[in-house]
Amino acid sequence: MPRKKGDTLRKIKRYRGIYLMLAPIAAYFLVFSYYPLVLGIVNSFHKVKLLGGSQFVGLANYQEVAGSRLYRQALQNSLIVGVGTFLLQFLWGLMIAVFLNEVKRKTFKSLIQTVTYIPYLLSWTVVGGLWITIFSPTGMVNGILNKLGVQGATVFMAEPAFARPIMIFTGAWKGAGYFAALFLAAIVSLDNSLYESARIDGASRWQQIMKITIPQIIPTMKIVTVLSAMGVLRNFDQIFVMGNPSINDKVQNLLVLIYNDGILKFNVGTATAAATLVLVVTMLISFIVRKLLRYDEAYDGR
Amino acid sequence: MKKRRLSALISALCLTATAVTACGGGTTQETTAASTAAENKAQETEGAKEETTVQAEAAGGSVRILMNVTGGKDEEEMKLFVEALEAATGLDIEVEKPVSDYSKVMMQKLSGGEKYDLIYLGASEYANLIDQETLMDITDYVSNSQILSQNIDQSEWDDITIDGKVYAGFNKKEVHRVVALNNVMLKAAGIDYQSITPTLDGYYEVFSKLKENNSEADFYPFEVIMKDAWDLQPWMAAVGVKTGVVLDDSGKKYAPVSTETAAPVWEWFKKLYDDGLMDPSSFVDATSDMRGKMGAASRKNACCVDWAAWVGLHNSNALAEGVSEDDYQVVSLPGCETPDGSYMLGKGGASLFAVPANAENVEGAVKVLEYFATQEGGELLSIGMEGYDYTKDGDTYTQTEIGKAHGNDHGAPVPIYKDFKAPFGYNPGMEDALSLGNYASIEMTISNEADYKEIVGKWGIQMIRGEASIEDGLAGMRKELLERGVTEVE
Amino acid sequence: MKKKKHLANELNVPQKIVMYLLLVFIVLIMAVPMWNVLVVATSSRLSASQSGIKLWWDSFSLDGFQYVFTVTKLLRPFLNSLFVTTVATVIQVILSSFAGYVLIQKDLPFKGAITSFVMLTMMIPGDLTLISVYQLNKQLSLLNSYTGLIMNGLISGFSILLMRNFFETVPYSLAEAARIDGAGEVHIFRTIYLPISLPGLATVFFMEYVSKWNSIMLPATLVTEQNLYTLPLMLKAMILTDASTSGTSFAPDNAVMAAIIISTVPLLLIYIFAQQYLLEGMNLGAEKG
Repeated sequence: MPRKKGDTLRKIKRYRGIYLMLAPIAAYFLVFSYYPLVLGIVNSFHKVKLLGGSQFVGLANYQEVAGSRLYRQALQNSLIVGVGTFLLQFLWGLMIAVFLNEVKRKTFKSLIQTVTYIPYLLSWTVVGGLWITIFSPTGMVNGILNKLGVQGATVFMAEPAFARPIMIFTGAWKGAGYFAALFLAAIVSLDNSLYESARIDGASRWQQIMKITIPQIIPTMKIVTVLSAMGVLRNFDQIFVMGNPSINDKVQNLLVLIYNDGILKFNVGTATAAATLVLVVTMLISFIVRKLLRYDEAYDGR
Repeated sequence: MKKRRLSALISALCLTATAVTACGGGTTQETTAASTAAENKAQETEGAKEETTVQAEAAGGSVRILMNVTGGKDEEEMKLFVEALEAATGLDIEVEKPVSDYSKVMMQKLSGGEKYDLIYLGASEYANLIDQETLMDITDYVSNSQILSQNIDQSEWDDITIDGKVYAGFNKKEVHRVVALNNVMLKAAGIDYQSITPTLDGYYEVFSKLKENNSEADFYPFEVIMKDAWDLQPWMAAVGVKTGVVLDDSGKKYAPVSTETAAPVWEWFKKLYDDGLMDPSSFVDATSDMRGKMGAASRKNACCVDWAAWVGLHNSNALAEGVSEDDYQVVSLPGCETPDGSYMLGKGGASLFAVPANAENVEGAVKVLEYFATQEGGELLSIGMEGYDYTKDGDTYTQTEIGKAHGNDHGAPVPIYKDFKAPFGYNPGMEDALSLGNYASIEMTISNEADYKEIVGKWGIQMIRGEASIEDGLAGMRKELLERGVTEVE
Repeated sequence: MKKKKHLANELNVPQKIVMYLLLVFIVLIMAVPMWNVLVVATSSRLSASQSGIKLWWDSFSLDGFQYVFTVTKLLRPFLNSLFVTTVATVIQVILSSFAGYVLIQKDLPFKGAITSFVMLTMMIPGDLTLISVYQLNKQLSLLNSYTGLIMNGLISGFSILLMRNFFETVPYSLAEAARIDGAGEVHIFRTIYLPISLPGLATVFFMEYVSKWNSIMLPATLVTEQNLYTLPLMLKAMILTDASTSGTSFAPDNAVMAAIIISTVPLLLIYIFAQQYLLEGMNLGAEKG
């Protein structure tokens, strides 16, 4: 036991330069992330009054949130829409990246990459409105359906059955170019000799994609998944802009609910309690995803 | 040597961590809390002391204001705004204006211990902040001030009096929403808008004539923003029902639109939808979509309910690009007649300047409120700053390009002063729309207005689309309103 | 640089056709909204207010652009955003590459704890720190200052993890060998890791640039002085003003879309720039292979 301790100390000593590199970041996070976090959690146990005079109320805020049917529904909605969006965005982005790698013309390649990235640059306040118009009874989707012989107009945005698919589709649409950029960055840094030897073995280009490109970027896929898992409950703008009462039962999520309950009504206590629960659930999701992907082992067991 | 450096680093880190948690921590919050509570008390006694002698004219010192939409639109103009305000009141004015996410920022500032003498807020924020004891009761200041009590209609004060107390003054006069109609389309269909029968059937007939007369497939005579039940009032008037939440005989909150009395109006909406007279986008459109379709560029709708100001804006936008009145003109009507022969229109929730409970210069704050309730103050809040938005030569006002772009709105398109004269007049058609104002009243100020809108919108859409019968839909609406605490009885 | 002919360097023809069809389809649905923004921005005020999706001009006009510069005065906010974002992103890339380097060290004591420490910061919802973030900035006198705008959200766990991911692809043995030769950490980092990870650095730089450029919540909290307003704040205010308020002063649709274009162009330029780096990185890899 004492020997092990000595070992650790010696290692710390060996890595002192490394720790020094970490110092500014650690200090920054302590001040700008952890300090506000602790205060926020403290608030969640209070009935906060804006001009002071907050009272400690124990778990009352948490009970209010946990006891609410709306919050339970919102958690379910957040998870379904969040996971669905992630999966579609992942496939979509991967497809763009792999295809782009096959496009030989440089200008064409760069054009496609830029165009697919644009949706990511625009805010939901801009593109949310556009999609609502596209799905409207007089919009493009109905126009195309009519041309294909479908009679009448569907109010897509008011149909609960379409609500989640639409949110998932538009969410993935917005983020696909961004995932594609991440995947592409990994693909282009792959070692060419891998392809070389496959070619000598007579593998077709398609086989090379399936056997080399995709397996080789698995570490990037993992990190994309882990990063996304942390953001799965973070979707506010899309639902805030595109939601409406007919479909809110299906799509209204936690952050929108916190905004309605906490911010519009100045219930800081409730808002922070609900946000703390969001944090806890996110940690749980992140933990599960990391375990499932053996993410941490990948970095330690080398 | 090396060891020492390492331990120095570690202790520095720890120090940062502890310093941060200790100097902030719960302690700060409690002290702020305690000190503000104490100040509140001091303020109250001070207020009581001066109650009898309050003379706003004698006020001086500095006034700190947290503003939202009001004031200059850029740095230069804001400077002029503050100077104008200082010259008129003799106070030192300090203005802070967050650019977006106003209510979030206001909440952060107030709980962060910032002190203001005036804060801009809307009706539902007003109600919520009073619940939190964040605002100061200024009833006595108001009744002692000649300007505040005489330049502003008593009915305006009644709208913002809660349990007999007033906590704020006005930023602007709230206008109302009217039924806006495309007069050119009406004429083409052989209808004189002034002789439309003000009943549900009368309007139904008008809409079917408009539809017959227009062959475009995506033209719908009527649109209503069902998404958040945006102003159903002119139609609900047909059965004498007031929108929003109302107190019943025993003082309990209920929503009249969810009662059986309102059923005929919901049936009317359904019929309009079934017969293709109501735009199916009504379920999902936002007000901006509605305005787009009503405007001269699209003309996809011929009737909607919108702010009085928008009647004028539709007309002036068209005129500005050379579309003549013969091609496009929007006119206004008060909607359906009530069973007792009047009309009912909806009015916007107040936009106010409230005095926070920890304000340091209440007299100064009141003085600013007084200025806003005069002709000069009204000009500042509407047409803007002299020398920037307009120039003045004797009694002649000339608007600059910037002034035109600012649309006579620097917080108050229609100022609160009851005899206000707009130097540049109003857009064509707006005056008529404004004249319908005596039929207008506000909805009761409730803190969960957003829930009300969502629930009424949701069940309303289900009834109109026939997913729920009118009877079941109304029962569902009542049940959910009660369940979510919007109403107290079904 | 001309490549040698290889055995199976390309897809066969049917595969290519399917691929290009899919690509064209994807590009179309992803380009439509931006095209719409462009057309509306360059239409006249009245024509811009037309309902529905506008894909062609019926009256071309640059009034929208004139409006945002003369009436909305977007130049100052634009320069503010440019300055704050650039400074913050450069600092961020440097510091997070340090942290990423730390996290790839083999058997570094407390590495798991450090990773969790970084990751937790990414999971904190903004609603939780709403009040305390303001108090913090007040205590540090960072309100209404460029320093405040730069400091808040300066470092993200996101870029640290991405950096780590890129550094992972560098063979660890290279560093070990250098260490045995007595090279210091900074030297190893600078001469071995940074050059190989250039495409990665470019990616992180760009992604952080976008997220900082578009950030709204923290600047809204910090800034109440008009000369410090940033572009996305102005943009949001422009888009949301007419939302069911009874006001009459608001930006016309063509001006709003013009502002959106103005706020997107710098990002596109940087993206095209970063793309060059990616391609260079690719060439580098090819030569190496």
